[in-house]
Amino acid sequence: MDISVEQRESRLGWKLIAPSIGVIGLLIIYPILYNVYLSFFDVKLTGANLFVGFANYERLLKDTAYYSSLFTTVLYLFGTVLGTTVVGLFVALLMNLHFPFRNVARTVILLPYFAPVISVVFGWQFIFDPVNGIYNHVVVEMLHLSGTRHNLIGDPKTALLVVILFDIWKHFPISYLLIISKLQSINRDQYEAAAMDGCGPIGRFFHITLPEISFVLGTLVILRLMWNWNKFDEVFLLAPNVETLPIFTYYTAFTGIIDQGMAASISVINFLILSGLIIFYVKKILKW
Amino acid sequence: MLGKRTLWQNCLLALTLGVVLFFCLFPFIQILSTSLKHQFDWGNPSLIPIKLNLKAYQELLGLGKGAEVPIPETVKRLLDNPLLTKEAKEKILSRYRSTRDVFPFPRFFLNTFLLSVTAAGLSLLLAVFGAYAFSRLRFKGRSVIRRSILFVYMVGGVLLMVPLYQMSVKVGLAGTVWGSLFSLVLIYIIQTLPVSLYMLGNYFRTIPFALEEAAATDGCSRIQALFLIILPLSVPMLITVFVYCFMIAWNEFLFAFVFLKQYHDFHTLPLALQSLFVSKNAIWDRIMAASMLTLSPVILCFVFIMRNLTRGLTEGGVKE
Repeated sequence: MDISVEQRESRLGWKLIAPSIGVIGLLIIYPILYNVYLSFFDVKLTGANLFVGFANYERLLKDTAYYSSLFTTVLYLFGTVLGTTVVGLFVALLMNLHFPFRNVARTVILLPYFAPVISVVFGWQFIFDPVNGIYNHVVVEMLHLSGTRHNLIGDPKTALLVVILFDIWKHFPISYLLIISKLQSINRDQYEAAAMDGCGPIGRFFHITLPEISFVLGTLVILRLMWNWNKFDEVFLLAPNVETLPIFTYYTAFTGIIDQGMAASISVINFLILSGLIIFYVKKILKW
Repeated sequence: MLGKRTLWQNCLLALTLGVVLFFCLFPFIQILSTSLKHQFDWGNPSLIPIKLNLKAYQELLGLGKGAEVPIPETVKRLLDNPLLTKEAKEKILSRYRSTRDVFPFPRFFLNTFLLSVTAAGLSLLLAVFGAYAFSRLRFKGRSVIRRSILFVYMVGGVLLMVPLYQMSVKVGLAGTVWGSLFSLVLIYIIQTLPVSLYMLGNYFRTIPFALEEAAATDGCSRIQALFLIILPLSVPMLITVFVYCFMIAWNEFLFAFVFLKQYHDFHTLPLALQSLFVSKNAIWDRIMAASMLTLSPVILCFVFIMRNLTRGLTEGGVKE
């Protein structure tokens, strides 16, 4: 026996993790680097790519469509991050109260999160459909808020609102889930003590609950930012006219005048911003 | 002093709960309702159909008679595709002759199912070994790997869209049906592998080391210990991770859209539903019925793994 137990353990460890690292390296790390490489080329679908230096970036930074897409993304992120966190917190506080059939209610509200985007997105299309939709029926015929029926999803400006509402509906359950698991760990004695000291429900919320869950809230905000920064399918399927950056990248890469070099340079910039967010998350929130 | 509510507060609570539940469930009810309505009934805000319409479901599932249905436009277009071999064309034609289905739902269902099961199975297999390595074995670089995995799972699909497509074009995979399917399986594996590693690793760590030591004194190797001790104890979590990966692959749209768009016959459900929606014969009851049918396996999985999943998500990691 030449090698010690530790060495053997170490070798086995590497052997077992090697396939995973291989797959991740080949299909995540390498593509990220390859993407940087592609961003310096005029990418041809057939034939050799042409090196163009920073020309893709120059064109991109002069493109007004890029800035309008960036602006749409910022609005989208602001609405969805705020919405999912606030609604999630509110529902978590609600579900933390005692009432009959609480377990059923807790399970049912997770449904939007687990439902496939594709299976609910057309239901939402139907709700806002200008001819048949319940939205227009309520707004025009029942409440008389407007004289004409609107195609909310057809108009990019209002479609953004629908997309944000959809995202809140779809993703507040995960915020709720993470908040309530923290809420349940707060010691009840603290509330009793505060109540003895004459603290009302609102005071108790700000003095006990909020400090206890601030870490979870911070985590949720940054995670939602990172997830929605890359969100493609629900925006594209619900309203393809809302051009957030992922949609803009897709159109650049695969439709019209196909320009995958330019798309690669958008992805590089997006990746740099995302990396910034991840480093912030790891350093400040996880405190590694 | 706590936990006592007045009648008025109880009413307010009930009302708020009602609003929250309505917000969550209304779209589902709307989908179910529309899937059961006749065309004349669509504009009617009432959720209960005036006259029950089961035709959409029958059509999708290939029940009932559909003899009057000709070969649809999309398939005709597919048949013009020069990439298709003669056999493939014959195959498609014969299927349309036999079932005469406008929207071969069972076919799309099977495509998605096979693709998802393959990807989830392979991802789970890789994750079992990987997670065991970095949660139970000591080796140099272990903590670096553990952190990198967390980093990697934050990198979303859209960022990899262009390079992955270019890579598969360069290797020659994107040009053929099977190459595209192969690329897609690989992509689904990497989309789920980091989370699987993370969730399983966290679970393995909760199993007492003493069990493995006892096995070692009985002469078990580490690999035997993994199969005889750790895996049997982790069955609930293994199922959970498998189903979670399955659901991610089942729901995936972007890469299926990029890779399989031209191969109508191999569409997954998300892709098929989207093309049904944008096609000229978009019919609400059929779209909603297809939505309901796509939703159903997920609801089953959801009920089945609910308990473990919420635990895995809150303790492990989450991925969208």
